[in-house]
Amino acid sequence: MAKVVVIGAGFAGHTAALYLGSRIGRKHEVTVISNRDVFGYVPSWVWVGVGHMKPEKTIFKLKPVYDKMNVKFIHAAAKEIHPDAGNQYVLGDEVGTGKEVRLDYDYLVIAPGPLLNFAGMPGLGPENGFTHSICSLPHAIKTRDAYLALCERMKKGEKVKIVIGTGHPAATCQGAAFEYIVNVHKDLVKKGLRDKADILWLSNEPAVGDFGVNGVQIKRNGHLMRSEEFLTSVFNDHGIRYQVKTGVTKVEEGKSHWQNYEGEEGVTEFDFSMLIPQFKGQPFKYIGKDGEDISSKMVNPAGFVLVDGKYGLPYPELAQTPDAWPARYQNPAYKNVFAAGIAFAPPGPISKPFTNKNNLAIAPAPPRTGMVSGMIGRVVALNIADLIEKGEMTHSEPMTEMVAACIASMGDSLWDGNAVTIVMRPVVPDRKTYQNEFGRDLFTSHLEMGVSGAWMKFMLHHTFIWKFKARPGWTIIPE
Amino acid sequence: MQTSQEFSKAEKFWMNFKLYQFWRFIVLNLKILAAVYQSKRS
Ligand SMILES: Cc1cc2nc3c(=O)[nH]c(=O)nc-3n(C[C@H](O)[C@H](O)[C@H](O)COP(=O)(O)OP(=O)(O)OC[C@H]3O[C@@H](n4cnc5c(N)ncnc54)[C@H](O)[C@@H]3O)c2cc1C
Repeated sequence: MAKVVVIGAGFAGHTAALYLGSRIGRKHEVTVISNRDVFGYVPSWVWVGVGHMKPEKTIFKLKPVYDKMNVKFIHAAAKEIHPDAGNQYVLGDEVGTGKEVRLDYDYLVIAPGPLLNFAGMPGLGPENGFTHSICSLPHAIKTRDAYLALCERMKKGEKVKIVIGTGHPAATCQGAAFEYIVNVHKDLVKKGLRDKADILWLSNEPAVGDFGVNGVQIKRNGHLMRSEEFLTSVFNDHGIRYQVKTGVTKVEEGKSHWQNYEGEEGVTEFDFSMLIPQFKGQPFKYIGKDGEDISSKMVNPAGFVLVDGKYGLPYPELAQTPDAWPARYQNPAYKNVFAAGIAFAPPGPISKPFTNKNNLAIAPAPPRTGMVSGMIGRVVALNIADLIEKGEMTHSEPMTEMVAACIASMGDSLWDGNAVTIVMRPVVPDRKTYQNEFGRDLFTSHLEMGVSGAWMKFMLHHTFIWKFKARPGWTIIPE
Repeated sequence: MQTSQEFSKAEKFWMNFKLYQFWRFIVLNLKILAAVYQSKRS
């Protein structure tokens, strides 16, 4: 009997666990170790952050799902990985008791999502800083409370400054911040308070609508349309000011310090700010059989797990080398260790990085969205099942071949809400297969805005929670 | 950095015209499903 351990139960880890449970759970031992005993449907935290969705609507208990899927659940925070042959195990601390737990494995999936690196930017974040976040459920709740308190001040006639975007020159996840800024706008319009707020989009993207993926480009009726023009229109229409090519360098109470591409330094004042932090890998200890630190074989300096990508290529070469992107998410040093979701180390950025004259690199990191994370979780799970049953892997899916759909909410109302529906093929440009300057299939890729998007977003919330609860038909719902 | 680009009145009309949007909802669902199933999903 083989033992498979999955660290983390988010989009990647939970998807992997469901597929592993259904393929091999009856004959082999599949165990999930997660520091939270609930699954969190992260995309809807945007709505939690404006007070439009109750937090409990975005979570459900994991154990009942795993019980039915033949998966063991351990409610503990993993802390150490010992991958050397003969004695391979994960150590963690049980939540509540602090008791140390040891999980032996034959195959390991590392999928603990990002470490939110607020510590990497002075003054950033809701715990020790002055900005808010929607990257975890407790953060989204705190953000909601601060936002609603701000609304109370506005109701009394106060004019306020709201700044939303990225809080680090190398931050990713601009899509979530974009959804939040537009949802704040819509909510203020509904409350009759929009004229009391000056709203600014402050971002490290090279252009509006870049989203860390070099933008989205489509062909419609023979014309090329780019996400830059599209999203600029959104901001102008909504009276949202924008400042891109900007890396935040420090935050103080009510003030964001920044530098831009030109190397200019500036300060933007705010009454309320939601800035996405830099993401890093979870700080696990990787320990060899003699107790030595073997991190360099397992992770890159940011803590993301090294997999079957080609690392170290300069950006211009990487942009022309689709094969540099991993396909199986397997660690090259330890072939029974896989990484899924945000945890794997991408070979480099997708958007063009920039270093200004003060040597500050302003470069969005590549996003690994929920859909991408789920797809990787599935590929990893199916390959592990293959290895156990047939001795060889038969699945692969690099981001240069993946199609991703993303619905960016712009107000949750089913009557007058709105959303931008984005389809990207592939997520990472492949300039060999698609011989245009963008490296994308401009016919399949899609960009559209309308109330139908709000319906889609609502539908996705319910469909995905259905899927993640492994209810009937869950496998036919795409990741 | 700001430009004056905005959606036209006609574009805004279609974005909120429910019957047309219902049609787009169906098309978008099919488009996404087709794209996902065309991709490897190996
Ligand atoms: C506000 C917001 C909105 C978003 N909207 C969208 C969207 O609309 N569409 C989309 O595609 N993507 C969206 N994303 C991105 C998407 O949420 C992420 O890409 C996705 O959650 C990444 O999945 P993951 O499994 O890698 O990490 P996570 O979902 O973060 O899951 C990681 C899991 O590991 C657990 N864990 C952490 N540390 C440990 C430890 N030490 N031991 C054990 N377990 C641990 C965590 O508790 C968590 O359950 C959004 C992100 C945010 C923040």
